[in-house]
Amino acid sequence: MTSISKLFAATAIASALLLAPAFAAETIKIGVAGPYTGANATFGEQVFNGVSAYVNDVNASGGINGKQIELVKGDDACEPKQAVAVANRFVDQDKVQAVIGHFCSSSTIPASEIYNDAGILEMTPSSTNPAVTDRGFDNLFRGCGRDDQQAVVAGGFILDTLKRDKIALIHDKDTYGQGLVDAVKKTIEARGITPVLYEGLTRGERDFNALVTKIKSTGANAVYFGGLIPEGGPLIRQLKEQGVDVVFVSGDSFAQAELVAAAGGGANLKDVYYSATPDPLADPATKNVQDALTKANVTPANYVLYGYANAQAVVAALKAGEDLKAQADWLRTNTVDSAIGKITWDEKGDIKDFKFVFYTFDDKGTPALVN
Amino acid sequence: MQTNRLLPLFKQALLTFTVSLILFGPISGLVLEGFSFRNELTRAVVLAAIVTAGRVAISLVQMTSLGQALTRRMADSGVGVTVMTGTEKSPVLILALLFVAGLSLPFFADKYFLGIAILALIYCLLGLGLNIVVGLAGLLDLGFVAFYAVGAYLLALGSQYLGLGFWGALIIAPLLAGLFGMVLAFPVLKMHGDYLAIVTLGFGEIIRLVLNNWLDFTGGPNGAPVPAPTVFGLEFTRTAKQGGVSIHDYLGIPYSADYKFWFIYLVLFLVVCLVIYAVERLRVMPLGRMWEALREDEIACRSLGVNHVFTKLTAFMLGASTGGLAGVFFAVHQGFVNPTSFTFFESALILAIVVLGGLGSTVGVIAAALVLTILPELLRDFAEYRVLIFGVLMVVMMIWKPRGLVRIKRPAFFPSTTTDAGPLPLTAKAEVA
Amino acid sequence: MDVYILLQQLFNGITLGTIYGLIAVGYTMVYGVIRMINFAHGDVYMVSAYIAAITLAVLTFFGIQSAPFALISVLVITCAVTAVYGWAIERVAYRPLRGSTKLAPLISAIGISLMLQSYVQISQGARDQGVPTLISGAFRFGDGVHFAQITYMQTVILFASLIAMGILTYVINYTRIGRECRATQQNIRMSAVLGVNTDRIISTVFVIGAATAAVGGVLVTFNYGSFNFFIGFVMGIKAFTAAVLGGIGSLPGAVLGGILLGLTEALFAGYVSTDYKDVFAFALLITLLFFRPYGLLGRPEIQKV
Repeated sequence: MTSISKLFAATAIASALLLAPAFAAETIKIGVAGPYTGANATFGEQVFNGVSAYVNDVNASGGINGKQIELVKGDDACEPKQAVAVANRFVDQDKVQAVIGHFCSSSTIPASEIYNDAGILEMTPSSTNPAVTDRGFDNLFRGCGRDDQQAVVAGGFILDTLKRDKIALIHDKDTYGQGLVDAVKKTIEARGITPVLYEGLTRGERDFNALVTKIKSTGANAVYFGGLIPEGGPLIRQLKEQGVDVVFVSGDSFAQAELVAAAGGGANLKDVYYSATPDPLADPATKNVQDALTKANVTPANYVLYGYANAQAVVAALKAGEDLKAQADWLRTNTVDSAIGKITWDEKGDIKDFKFVFYTFDDKGTPALVN
Repeated sequence: MQTNRLLPLFKQALLTFTVSLILFGPISGLVLEGFSFRNELTRAVVLAAIVTAGRVAISLVQMTSLGQALTRRMADSGVGVTVMTGTEKSPVLILALLFVAGLSLPFFADKYFLGIAILALIYCLLGLGLNIVVGLAGLLDLGFVAFYAVGAYLLALGSQYLGLGFWGALIIAPLLAGLFGMVLAFPVLKMHGDYLAIVTLGFGEIIRLVLNNWLDFTGGPNGAPVPAPTVFGLEFTRTAKQGGVSIHDYLGIPYSADYKFWFIYLVLFLVVCLVIYAVERLRVMPLGRMWEALREDEIACRSLGVNHVFTKLTAFMLGASTGGLAGVFFAVHQGFVNPTSFTFFESALILAIVVLGGLGSTVGVIAAALVLTILPELLRDFAEYRVLIFGVLMVVMMIWKPRGLVRIKRPAFFPSTTTDAGPLPLTAKAEVA
Repeated sequence: MDVYILLQQLFNGITLGTIYGLIAVGYTMVYGVIRMINFAHGDVYMVSAYIAAITLAVLTFFGIQSAPFALISVLVITCAVTAVYGWAIERVAYRPLRGSTKLAPLISAIGISLMLQSYVQISQGARDQGVPTLISGAFRFGDGVHFAQITYMQTVILFASLIAMGILTYVINYTRIGRECRATQQNIRMSAVLGVNTDRIISTVFVIGAATAAVGGVLVTFNYGSFNFFIGFVMGIKAFTAAVLGGIGSLPGAVLGGILLGLTEALFAGYVSTDYKDVFAFALLITLLFFRPYGLLGRPEIQKV
């Protein structure tokens, strides 16, 4: 046994010696992992655009402690299989010092095991599933809200602000959508209200008329949808076309300009609400963020901002120290003044008191804050 | 060059340019922005010009004598299979060298490379399994991923509900997947060709959808965690979680995440070797020969008394068992399973491995599995062009080698040198059936 | 009230089914002639959706506002361009593989499918695209509260599909090219011997298949208003299922299979569960094929010994 372990050690040292000069980095590498191909490619691009907009700025002003930042793209197509391959590549080949990603919770969960083993700081800009941080990894931070945080807000909003009690819950049978809807279900059931409908639609379909008729037959006066725009847009449009009189509430995935086109124009977006982080573009304090985005020729969309904010946090943590402990401790004890507001993290790595506000639309389809 | 050659060339170039302009014009040239569009027409023209240039270049090469020789070689598809004489020496030395090289890979490779190697071996297993069904028995199966999912979920859910471990799953998975194979095989016995394809596709989708929808049992889209493997009760985690001891504590060596990968790789490598051996043995056994006979001509087989039910059933079951095995390794390598890993596209990829490898050829399947798993990783540097290039290469490889990378060689039924031919293969079949 | 809900679900199912049927025609025709499942067909449909939206955007740019005119010109242009796609795909990816194993073109088709998706994603971006509502309003049956409705756009879908199928049936049954198609379908080698240019016929079949997919693409785009580069996948599988359900190789079978699939989905989703509607659809298909191994209208292939 010992001879084998010696052999292991010898190979490890040998390979380290061989590889070390090749990777002796004058730059600091940050991996940005997400779907750049496949059905969710649009979101991966947004995150990357946000991250690179901030990183370009940092590099222009001298980088991290004099070292330039180099971004490495890792495409996982939101498939767990590819996520693990990307994670291994980041750790072993690219030798990244921090990772922003992955996008889908189902990719973040298996990949984070590898980052945890390697002791690399990871921050996910979009994996809202509670299981991501509930496993207690010390290197993993969530740069966005949790499904359960958002669901509590959404449940209260439907019941108290909109005063609707016959709620149909629709999800897209995917980690994000179903997680969100299940959490909303829990919230409203705790208030003694049973949803009139709880159904999942199939991602990739466009015709939800049967479901819409079903919603109509239940007499629901509110629909909560957990899912993304490709399905959410047509669903809204078909609800309007069939003349179903409901308010439509969804989560932060709706904070995208494409919604207007997907739902068939701004007129269909009457009585549509979504929860999201307070729009930083409306906040004069974030003028520098907007300038950076305009300079990088990036349209500020939801995940662009999350990407930007996550990059701010990760870069700040990397400035705080070389080793993971220093970086993680810094994040747990400091506040980051980011593109999505001032954020601090709790012990588990979740954002403390993540703030959600609600938006609705005017007739042109421009989002407006609900007071 | 003569004008009578140049004129058709020019016509051809013009046609190619027009067609590619129609193809690229709208999609590349006019980019949708909301309900309006952005003009990028120069991009479309450049693309069309590139395609035309490529087409002309190919034509020019074909005009040279070298090109003509190449074309002839391409056109020579060489129908039929080579039958081995039975006197060939088995390449023991090469096989042994390959075996040793495979075993020692973990000592040279880093974790990233090893991870890809594990994935490639998993696809080898899947390819070998599907090869029994499609390549040997000639039954088109588009839902093979179902058995892969059964194996993976067996480990994930088994450990969650029954306390099943890696080794237990490794033994039960082939049996359970084989059972699923049998369940699928019964309704499809009557069907042929493409009806079989859609039924298997439907079966694969049903399995995936049930895994995705049955939230209470499978965890739905959130997936299910898979515990790290153990060896003699020793665990590969930093701190022992399953009530045992961590292997690095036991051996008194520092913790490294690599050990788990080494372990999975080595076990997987041995299993793949075992399966290859089994498949090669099966092919020369009566059962394997019945599969191939059934693929070539079902009616002739049945009139000769081959039990087609038994033959098809065994092909499905053995194929499924191999798929189940692959699933266990996939689950343990990922540490997490969810239904997105088992879409129809996976089935298509496995089928591509079998077809590209050369239907029925074991060596081909292994080669194709390596190519199709390593290729997307090599293409990572092309970022978003990765899938595009992968698609192009798939088409090109198919056109270049329509019958697969490795031509199938049928084992000799009996050594041709011996004058006494022994019992005829067909009589041997009746015994088994 | 329940009657109206049922009626509404029937309308939903039939509209959806008609579209499945249109896409299924492409599968069934190609299969009929060269016995090959064209897995890239769903993506041809996806491309047609983009072409339709782009054409509409260009028309709007030139100030054409009239809805009927826009619809018809979009339909014609999209069909033409998509037909070229069908032709080019056959020429590049399938023709070199003719006479090879049956599975080789299948894999090549998967490659083409990946290429098309990726090409559209790179060129047009991954985000969701949409078209404005062209025709709004609906026929309503019932009183103000309880009613079933069929939108004008759905009516257009039904009529356009009917016309497209009518043209197709005429072409297949009464024209020279249709006769040659049928002859090729019966026996490709024999037709070639008798002087049918089979290569041209196969190209024609791909062109017709792509054009009908384009009709589907245009109608879907205008009805549902949104699409992305990934829509071909689900639609492809659904339409393929419809084609097999009706009996692959049979034109009326494709339409019948499509409508049956659409109705099944709508009714099951409406009255039982949306989650399990696809499971039910596939289970129904398997059961049906168990009793009728060649689909509803398919003819058993005569097995030659």
